[in-house]
Formats: sequence, structure tokens, C-alpha cells
Amino acid sequence: MVGLRMTRRRWAIVTLVSTLATAILATSVVAGQFRSPDSEAFHAGLATGEIARVADIAAGEGLPGRGVFVQTTDTGQLCLWDAPSAGSRQRQGGCNSADDPLGGHELSVSFAYDGGPAVSDVRDARLIGLVAERVAEVHVLMSDGSRRAMRLRDARIDGASYRAFGHRFTPGELRQGAEPAAVLALDAAGQEIDRQQTGFVR
Amino acid sequence: MKRLGTGLVVVVVMVALTLAGAALAGATTYAGPQQWAQNQGAGSSFSSGWKYNYFFKNGSGHDSTVTFIDNVTYSWHATVRNTSSTTYTYWFASNVKRGHCRANSAYFWGSCAVVN
Repeated sequence: MVGLRMTRRRWAIVTLVSTLATAILATSVVAGQFRSPDSEAFHAGLATGEIARVADIAAGEGLPGRGVFVQTTDTGQLCLWDAPSAGSRQRQGGCNSADDPLGGHELSVSFAYDGGPAVSDVRDARLIGLVAERVAEVHVLMSDGSRRAMRLRDARIDGASYRAFGHRFTPGELRQGAEPAAVLALDAAGQEIDRQQTGFVR
Repeated sequence: MKRLGTGLVVVVVMVALTLAGAALAGATTYAGPQQWAQNQGAGSSFSSGWKYNYFFKNGSGHDSTVTFIDNVTYSWHATVRNTSSTTYTYWFASNVKRGHCRANSAYFWGSCAVVN
């Protein structure tokens, strides 16, 4: 009887240790799949490659116009920027691998704003995006259910065709209490084929 | 004993050089690499020197935000939100500020860094 109890206790310990070891191993394997890039090298890479203007952001309410730019860096990144000019380092946006500029989606959008976090304190809010050629329309879905259609412009990047847009939300659009919630990509039949969440973060 | 002292000096010099090198590089990782939960945020130390703020992720499709927060009004400046594999912003103002990053979606790996 005592021997049986010892065996059960031993099995319980072995099971516990095995479970813990498996959990630790699984965690380390998953963690090992992501290596944070060298920040300094990545940053230096943004000074390389070619940059082209693909859309405009209109001036308004005393704010100067800006542009939407695409940059293919020598380090294999394709970056989508909201910036005052092609040569400016005052850029905001994001980068994906140049092999997959849209990250496996039909659209890649970036939302930038100044002020906040309270929406009432936001002074300027802009949305830029790059979409696949087969996307016929892009709509911004507002929190009140209304939609804003984006004006798309054809863009040729590294031999492939895309469409791009830039939009500055007017104070009137934001003062009415509605705020951007998602960006919808529609095909030629008006069917939604992809969407990306966006909006103010609190 | 003399050999031990020499060894200690070498170690101290190496550590000092490593720290100096990190400072000169100008990049500071302030969060991660780690797995992020939805709405989880992190912030760097306050400095007037930070100019750029990055959120590096393990691929695209993960919704994140980067911004700068000043140390007077705690307002947000130059906020950017997207699902790109790297989310990036700048703020060249001389204000004392900290970089802040936030995961808007869950269960992805990533890290945040500020650069001066």
C-alpha cells in the first residue's frame, strides 16, 4: 500500500515536472521565433533607397499640405509615409517586408494624429493607405456608421501596381462626435474584401 | 593577487566601454521582446533627446500604436497607429518626453525602442 502511494506520488511529480518543462520549452521556442531587429541598423536603413510620392494630403484649417510617400530601402523594407516632403525625416507610418508590402492583405493603412489622448484634444488627424490594384474603392467607416470615400490614385511600386490615398479629417468631421473606426476595401462589385481597424487610442 | 586586480580592471573597462557604446548608438529598447496582450502599453524613460519611436513586431497584421508623451501636460504627440510589421513615428520637439507604445491587438511578439 505504501509502495503504491509512493509510485503515485512519483508519477505525480514526474508529470508535473514534464508539464513544466514542456511549457518552458514551448515558450522559449515561440520566443525564439522573434528576434527584435537592431534598432540602430533599422533606423540607418531608413536613410537608404528610393522614395516616391504616391498621393497627397490636402492642406486645411491652417495646416500645410503633406504627401503620401513609398520608400523601398536597401534593407528590404517597403515603408509607407505621411510626410511634408520626400526629403523630410519628419515621417510617420510603417514598414513591411518589400516582398509583401501589404502584409498578406488587400490594404495597409496608417492613422496619424496630434494631440489627445482625449479626442477633443486632437488637433490634426490623417489617414494614409496603400491598397491592391483590385481594390476599386476604399471607405472609412466612422463610429456613427457613416462612411467617407477615399480618393484613390494609381501607384507603380517596384514594377507592381497599387492604389494609394491620403486624407486629412476636417475638424468638422471630428467635432460631430464621429471618429474613424475601420477602413474597408471594396471590389468593383462593391463587396467588402478586406478591412483594417483604426481610430483614436485611449 | 596582482593578476586578480588586473583582471578586475579589464572587466570594469569592458563594461564601461559597452555602456558607452550603447549610449552612443542612441537606441534604447524600452519594452520586449515579449508577447503582448491587447491594450497593453509600455513607456520609455523621460528625456529631451528622444526623436523616434518604433514598435517592431513579428510580422504584419498586428495592430499597434506609438506616440510621445510630454512630462508637463501628458498630452500625446505624433501618434501613429497601424498594422505594419514596424510602426514608426518622430517628434523633433525639444520637450522632455517619453516614448509610449501600445498593442491594440493580442498575442503577438514585439519590442519597442526610442532613438535619439
